Amino acid sequence: MKPAAFDYLAVESVEAALEALARAGGEAKIVAGGQSLVPMLNFRLLQPALLVDINRIPGLDFIAVEPARIRVGALTRHHRQETAPELREHLPVLSAAMAEVAHLAIRNRGTLGGSLSHADPAAELPMMALLLDAEIATASPSGGRRIAARDFFLGPLATGLAEDELLIEVAFARPAAGSGWAFEEVARRSGDFALAAAAVTLRLQDGRIAEPHVALTGVDETPLRAGAAEALLDGEAPGAELFAAAAEAVRRRVQPNTDLHASADYRRHLAGVLVRRTLEKAAAQAAGGRA
Amino acid sequence: MTEPVETLAARPKSVGARVRRTEDPRLLAGQGRYVDDLAPPRLLHVAFRRSDMSHARIRGLDLEAARGAPGVVAVVAAADLEGLAKPLVAASRMASYHGTPLRPLAEGKVRFVGEPVVAVAAESRYLAEDALELVDIDFEPLGTVIDPEAAAAGDAPLLHEEIGTNVLVERRFRRGEPEAAFAAAAHRVGGSFRFRRKSPGAIENRACLAEWDAGRGALTLHSASGIPGIVRDALSEALDLPGHRLRVVAPDVGGSFGGKGSLYPEEILVSLLARRLGRPIKWTSDRLEDLTATSQAFDEIVEAEMALDAEGRVLALRAEVLGDTGAYSIYPWTAGLEPVQVVGFLPGPYRIEHYEAHVRAVATSKAPTGPYRGVGRPAAVFATERLMDLAARKLGLDPKEIRLRNFVRPEDFPYKIGSGIVWDRSGFTECLEAACARAGYPALREKQRQARAEGRWFGIGLASYAELTGIGSKISVAPGMPINTGTETAVVRIDSTGGITAAVGIASHGQGLETTLAQVVADELGARLEDIRIVQGDSDAVPNATGTYASRGAVLAGGAAILASRVVREKLLRAAGHLLEAAEADLEARDGRVTVAGTDRSMSFREIARAVYSEIGRIPHDKREELEATRLYDPYYGTTSSATHVATLEIDPETYRVTLGAYLVAEDCGRIINPMIVDGQVHGGVAQGVGAALYEEVVYDADGQNLTASLVDYLIPSAPEVPPMTVLHVEGELPATLGGFRGMGEGGTIGAPAAIANALSDALAPLGIGIDELPATPERLFRLIERAQQRQDNQSTGEER
Ligand SMILES: Cc1cc2nc3c(=O)[nH]c(=O)nc-3n(C[C@H](O)[C@H](O)[C@H](O)COP(=O)(O)OP(=O)(O)OC[C@H]3O[C@@H](n4cnc5c(N)ncnc54)[C@H](O)[C@@H]3O)c2cc1C
Repeated sequence: MKPAAFDYLAVESVEAALEALARAGGEAKIVAGGQSLVPMLNFRLLQPALLVDINRIPGLDFIAVEPARIRVGALTRHHRQETAPELREHLPVLSAAMAEVAHLAIRNRGTLGGSLSHADPAAELPMMALLLDAEIATASPSGGRRIAARDFFLGPLATGLAEDELLIEVAFARPAAGSGWAFEEVARRSGDFALAAAAVTLRLQDGRIAEPHVALTGVDETPLRAGAAEALLDGEAPGAELFAAAAEAVRRRVQPNTDLHASADYRRHLAGVLVRRTLEKAAAQAAGGRA
Repeated sequence: MTEPVETLAARPKSVGARVRRTEDPRLLAGQGRYVDDLAPPRLLHVAFRRSDMSHARIRGLDLEAARGAPGVVAVVAAADLEGLAKPLVAASRMASYHGTPLRPLAEGKVRFVGEPVVAVAAESRYLAEDALELVDIDFEPLGTVIDPEAAAAGDAPLLHEEIGTNVLVERRFRRGEPEAAFAAAAHRVGGSFRFRRKSPGAIENRACLAEWDAGRGALTLHSASGIPGIVRDALSEALDLPGHRLRVVAPDVGGSFGGKGSLYPEEILVSLLARRLGRPIKWTSDRLEDLTATSQAFDEIVEAEMALDAEGRVLALRAEVLGDTGAYSIYPWTAGLEPVQVVGFLPGPYRIEHYEAHVRAVATSKAPTGPYRGVGRPAAVFATERLMDLAARKLGLDPKEIRLRNFVRPEDFPYKIGSGIVWDRSGFTECLEAACARAGYPALREKQRQARAEGRWFGIGLASYAELTGIGSKISVAPGMPINTGTETAVVRIDSTGGITAAVGIASHGQGLETTLAQVVADELGARLEDIRIVQGDSDAVPNATGTYASRGAVLAGGAAILASRVVREKLLRAAGHLLEAAEADLEARDGRVTVAGTDRSMSFREIARAVYSEIGRIPHDKREELEATRLYDPYYGTTSSATHVATLEIDPETYRVTLGAYLVAEDCGRIINPMIVDGQVHGGVAQGVGAALYEEVVYDADGQNLTASLVDYLIPSAPEVPPMTVLHVEGELPATLGGFRGMGEGGTIGAPAAIANALSDALAPLGIGIDELPATPERLFRLIERAQQRQDNQSTGEER
């Protein structure tokens, strides 16, 4: 379990990173926290000729609170996303989800950009990007672009990023004031990838649900937004029957994999339970219950 | 106010005190020396090309490209080692037994994924692994042998053709008239209990380093092993080297749990290569190798049935056990080690007159199984304790009550159980009573009633067990094995500076033996703890040793240390008698000084030692004697340790996630040397049992691929999964062992799987679910619960109609 030989280059600017990637012509890999990449190198699942270390690029580790969105730099560590007061205040659902990501030592290294680029189908951050209608900003030799999270995740460990493209920052939309939120996960052990997790944000307007966002991870090829469930919920009064119907819509929508740790049936079952529970909590909270 | 002055007489003995582990500062500050820390000059690193086939003939090998790779010094396969080592076969006295040869590299065919086929020695591990990619092996698949029941059937592919069967051991036990007892029984309960395969998962992977001293024709092997003595003796035979030219050292070792308790191909391979290449050779296992090629554990199907009378007294027990032992009969313990002990321990701490059992150990194309903390007992206790609870439910008795009715009672000891094991006096009843009293058992039942009323699934599980520890020379720790595991030797010495060294043959891999043995020696010598150094894990330190396994360290090495220390103390007092001009009977040794009783005349051990060895004229020349003694101890029978575990847990009725609550262990391990270390052993053992009950499982697919070859997929409980624990020590009547010690290193692992299985079954009782397969993963619970709920739905719709 030793990696094949590779060259290593620590760059200090986005431009230098892009230049190195372009020069390597697809033979390079970016390394950020290294928590997902290095195990793959050790198993020799990847044998890049060059590692471009972006950790020393200044200005990529930040949290910027704006009126409608919160921008977070690609090199922002998981631990900071878990604990930063501005995120706890404005995106508490994200902070709560981060506490379930791996273990402290890994959260101290792992980065936002790394998690989204790695795109594990059971990871929390891609699910948060979907939940919070994030926009992902990149830099590339052709200038860079902004990609909606909905268009970003293409499959297990597959994204729309090009080989010479660098993820720079993520802008999460702020849920409207008074929104309720909830996050629930089932994993084998503390810190393991989710067997299933669900997250919800919603608002109540005149006793009816507005802007329901329902996202899941661990239950399909990629994390997802449960559009059918959201459509069911939108404009309705919260209640047990409604939430059961939403959970049923989710169970019908998801296509989980069977693996060593859980069958597709169990994951589907969990998806339903967790969606119902997160809806109940978020609705109670939005109603002022602060449950 | 002044503190009361602690008088000498009032000072407590070291044995029994919560002495802090003296090895910990070294180990915790990164100052330990593990095999992988050793880097002699000109060191070469070995990497293995391991089989990726489950069962296949090796049709051809192409090593040329690898031999030409950068930094590569040697590439060898079995053919290149011909004649360099005698193959070793684990021997047994059991008539039905078939041994299998232990070779450094696969010869002719491979029998499990992970078996070493080719070894590359290179200037670095990286370069060695680069070269592995250039090795080409032409395999001809021979048919996997995965399911143990199919493997035992006549038409399965044979792993060892020359044996003619995959069944490596078969035994029958019988006492009394089981058929008649079953026929007459008021009640019967039974089940098929499946314990799934485990991996030991020590934090330090295995590692070994061989150095050949050409000038002296001598080999030194450093190995992360729990059995350096056995490794020395085996290598001596395989390599034809006498012990004075062959030293095996286990330096600091980071855990074993049984995985470092056998002789391995890699240890032979590095030894052969070092001798052949004349350079030090090191192999350090990575986690992938550890999970695929370190001995695995506990893969058993136990079909068992119990017969009871109307009052819930067990009349008879019968069992059919099939042990999946993997590809080879592990050296030196044999394939009988685990499954035969399952039937050995099945009757447990209970009076069961009639017993019948049949056991087979069957070879499959998986990694060999070997010793694992608890050996045989965890699977046996799981089956028997489940049966006890099933019987309690059937008869409407409380689980506590049915155990009390069936325990071997104080007046019954010594009691021989149906398999022939003899229990000496041990606190079976006392442990159960103490555990239930402390746990507030009636209150727990009340809490359960409330939880059920709220729709919560709360369960309480009891497990009581007895086990044999500190086994002497009457039997071997592995059934039928001809190697003596019943003696230990200690060498205790006071040198000319007053330093005290006690050398023993056991090998600590985390148990704190450097502390506990020093406590024993300190008390026997009257020395200060800090003046004593324990030398362990070095085959050169004592004439004969085996190692640490089978909960024998405290009993056997402790006993040997007591005997040797007593002789040294006598010698010390004789010398002091001359020096202090006093009668020996008037001398007292305490705290590193010898004092003439009732006077202030005294000398330190150091002064006495200097006078004995170094100073002219202090001792009459014909009275000088070395302050050293070597003694062997043999407890002959061994002694019974016992415990009751109480587990509580809650299952989320929707996600089926299990949360363990307060956990309690009441155990009798005889005289306690160090309560803190006993607690630590119990805590760690229970954590391991939690793994067995809920998380850990080695999974092979139908092609024989190991699907759990990383710690992402082989799930070991981490701190948040381990429940808060209380440990009660029931120091009942002391056993006949020297010092009154009983073994206690494995008990936690023995009781926990059964206690948790019973607690899960208790929580799920309203659904009619019993747990008969471990680990009880969420997926397994999901399937059981879905099926049970469907059953209930069907019933209720049936009733409506
Ligand atoms: C034991 C363990 C448990 C874990 N558990 C969880 C869990 O429960 N949930 C979870 O979500 N994650 C988990 N992880 C993964 C962890 O969160 C990783 O840190 C994260 O997925 C990747 O972040 P990183 O910065 O380490 O990325 P790296 O490992 O450095 O890189 C990952 C991939 O992203 C690419 N990359 C990195 N940064 C950029 C960038 N700015 N632009 C373009 N490409 C980039 C790399 O080239 C590589 O392909 C776990 C990891 C471990 C080791």
